Amino acid sequence: MKVLFYFLILPGFLFTAAAGLLSSWIDRKVTARVQWRVGPPFLQPLIDIVKLLGKETILPSTANKITFLLSPVIGLVGITLVSTLLWIMDANPNASFIGDLIVVLYLLAIPSISVIMGGFSSGNPIASIGASREMKLLLSYELPFILAILVPVIKSGGLIKIGQLLNYQAHNGVFAGSASGAIALVVAIICMQAKLALVPFDMPEAETELIGGPIIEYSGTVLAMYKLTRAMMLFTLPVFLVIIFIGGIELAFPAAIWGILKIVGLLVIIILIRNTNPRLRIDQAVKLFWGPITGLAVLAVVLAFLGK
Amino acid sequence: MNSLFYPIIIPFIAGIITLLMPKRIKFVKEIIALLTSVFVLSIVIGLFRLKPLSFTLGNTLLLQLDNLSGFVTLFIAAFALLIIVYSFGFMKGKDRLNQYYGYMLMTLGGSIGAVLSNDLICFLAFWGFLGITLYLLINMGGPDAAYASKKALIIVGGSDALMILGVGIIYFMTKSFSMAGLSLPLNNGLAIAAFLTLACGAFAKAGAMPLHTWIPESSEVAPVPVMAFIPASLDKLLGIYFLARISLDMFIIKTGSTVSIILLALGAITILAAVMMALVQHNLKKLLAYHAVSQVGYMVLGIGTGNPIGIAGGLFHMLNNAIYKYGLFLCSGAIEHKRKTTDLDKLGGLSKAMPITYISCLIAALAISGVPPLNGFVSKWMVYQGLIELGNSGGRLWVIWLTAAIFGSALTLASFMKLTHAVFLGQCPEGRCERQEVGVAMWLPAAVLAGLCVLFGVFAYQIPIRFFIQPSISKTITYPGMWNASLSTGLILIGIVVGFIIYAIGSIKNLRVDEPFIGGEPLREDMKVSGVRFYQTIEDIPVLSLFYRWAERGLFDIYDQFRNILFFFTRILQRLHNGVLSTYLAWCLLGVIILFFVLR
Repeated sequence: MKVLFYFLILPGFLFTAAAGLLSSWIDRKVTARVQWRVGPPFLQPLIDIVKLLGKETILPSTANKITFLLSPVIGLVGITLVSTLLWIMDANPNASFIGDLIVVLYLLAIPSISVIMGGFSSGNPIASIGASREMKLLLSYELPFILAILVPVIKSGGLIKIGQLLNYQAHNGVFAGSASGAIALVVAIICMQAKLALVPFDMPEAETELIGGPIIEYSGTVLAMYKLTRAMMLFTLPVFLVIIFIGGIELAFPAAIWGILKIVGLLVIIILIRNTNPRLRIDQAVKLFWGPITGLAVLAVVLAFLGK
Repeated sequence: MNSLFYPIIIPFIAGIITLLMPKRIKFVKEIIALLTSVFVLSIVIGLFRLKPLSFTLGNTLLLQLDNLSGFVTLFIAAFALLIIVYSFGFMKGKDRLNQYYGYMLMTLGGSIGAVLSNDLICFLAFWGFLGITLYLLINMGGPDAAYASKKALIIVGGSDALMILGVGIIYFMTKSFSMAGLSLPLNNGLAIAAFLTLACGAFAKAGAMPLHTWIPESSEVAPVPVMAFIPASLDKLLGIYFLARISLDMFIIKTGSTVSIILLALGAITILAAVMMALVQHNLKKLLAYHAVSQVGYMVLGIGTGNPIGIAGGLFHMLNNAIYKYGLFLCSGAIEHKRKTTDLDKLGGLSKAMPITYISCLIAALAISGVPPLNGFVSKWMVYQGLIELGNSGGRLWVIWLTAAIFGSALTLASFMKLTHAVFLGQCPEGRCERQEVGVAMWLPAAVLAGLCVLFGVFAYQIPIRFFIQPSISKTITYPGMWNASLSTGLILIGIVVGFIIYAIGSIKNLRVDEPFIGGEPLREDMKVSGVRFYQTIEDIPVLSLFYRWAERGLFDIYDQFRNILFFFTRILQRLHNGVLSTYLAWCLLGVIILFFVLR
């Protein structure tokens, strides 16, 4: 029962959804300020979701109905699972819950798989092209991302449980404090940008050419599901990086502000990157990730072995 | 007669009877095959519960059923039953059925014999026999299969020759042909040579690089059940079983030793190179064949780590791979049966036409890509932990192997997303979307295997690891990480229920069906995106495109390379054979002179 509460209410679905919508409000507000606009009111992201829940849902005649409707749910469940896991580990590093670092890495792929499957199942050629770009994007950032999150594993001497990594940082200082950890964090932030499919890596959705790509056929409630998943990822991925690179979030009162600042800091970095860059082509993104960024990640791994 | 003989001899006898059966007698062949496989499975289940069993002839321990060979035998028998059922649907109305069922049954007997053998000579006899049945079965594919079957025979048979050499070295060192309790340390050149020659046999059978090329070659031409049964599942079980035998019982591999690094490097290269080839394939069966090669890399990596968790992961991956790869090949057979093609360009939208095949194939595809909570994830995760453990003993190369393995898994996912799109989703060609599922004999085996993928993933610790994997390795498996498969599956299911509650609250009730939106244009046939060219971007990357071109020219194909070398020398000899009598007479004279000179 307790697990069910964790999963559905706190720190699982409801909490992550609320925090995700808050993050997406921050995103929209900061974006607006960068563009010299006022920005939406605080509740706007929630209002958008509620509005979509009430709208008509259209099923394209070419779609495989079950896959089409199930995909958004799977993505939502995947990110909820990751968020629950991370927060429970953060609250109590000695707990044993669900899984370790490798499990998180794999669970984080589930939202992407859900977008891809959703796009494929709609039977729309534009969605297929968008989804294939999402797949290629996943391939390209996965390589440097693996190397980046191996840096904490190397530095801690082969620990892979999230709780152990937190404890290690509590005793030996945060990973981002060392040269290798800092480089790995930079690599991970860029990969996170791609994982969130934000500019400059928004070619799967490419509003101006693919009209939303994989989510082109989604409307109403099912679209709300995707929007919610996206918002929750916007919150959960910075939390993940904070936990494995910057020592986690302490849940006592004054220290918690520092923890929240870490998350918001990462969020603002993402938003600023997204507002100051043009979109890359997919082949450019693949070359960028497999070339310079992987090079940077390898440098971080080498430095980590040298103890730097 | 010792009870261990029954599962070996009965399929052989039944196979010979089937082989000799005239073509006119219908159904009897099928019934004999079915009864034999059911019978063998029930005997094997009985023996599995009685293990350990052994049979001694004189002083030699001839056959032995211990924990490792026990579970491998069990799955060989179970897979044989599934393939016989599947063949009822697939091979119906085909020619030479007596040969097909006969060879299949003999393969079953030979495989069980090879797994149960403890004596190396006995083992080599069964192992060599399997090479012949493989050749004959690939040849069932008709005249196109001649080249592929020859290639398979030469690669597998050539590696058998190397194995005989290895066995000879072992006899020279120990004066014994027994596998059990050999425990040779790999500290001199002779022992290393023996290990490597024997490993060659295991690699050729399982299809690890560089001895893999016969699998993709034969995939396109051999009958699908043959591909599904032998290279995709049985040979994985046999090859990796033997690799585990030589690495665990016959030799002692030290962590960080040269042999260990050779194994790890071969594993990592196999994973990446084969999956990169799979990404760009245009044919469903060939794509699956490259994955059958790529997955071997994980098993070799796992066994190469030499620590309990890694070995357990490697063995578990062997079992899992046999299950899902088998299922995938069966699905490809179902598609070929209905659409008469496995060309990805010509397929599409089959999810509506063949829903059961679609779901079985999707589950197997997600399992091979390592999506939690399916079985492929658990075994890969165990292999990864084994690799991380390697770092504790001081090495640094584990990062390379680990990155290759995890990245290979992402590439596998990409390749299977392409497959799912090109075959099952997307648009139907020529509007052929009406329901046309295959018969129950064909979808049931695939569905059973998909069910096993889920079962072995969700209850990984409770069923496969507890009954099959842990008993096979002497040491206790300790997990540095953690993965609670049952709890997370429960949460995922609850989450899906919650998702549907949100749907119910929302406006999903008034679902409206409408045409897809393509910027206002009507959907036309020529807009079809087949998915075959999804990864053109990757193919076009300068360095990779070079490798792809080399691969196309057969530069990495050891068979082609050896043939080139051989032809180089034969061409010199060919020059001498110019058909002019006087030249031949001159050669004869020269020979006689040399003879006289020697015998002088």
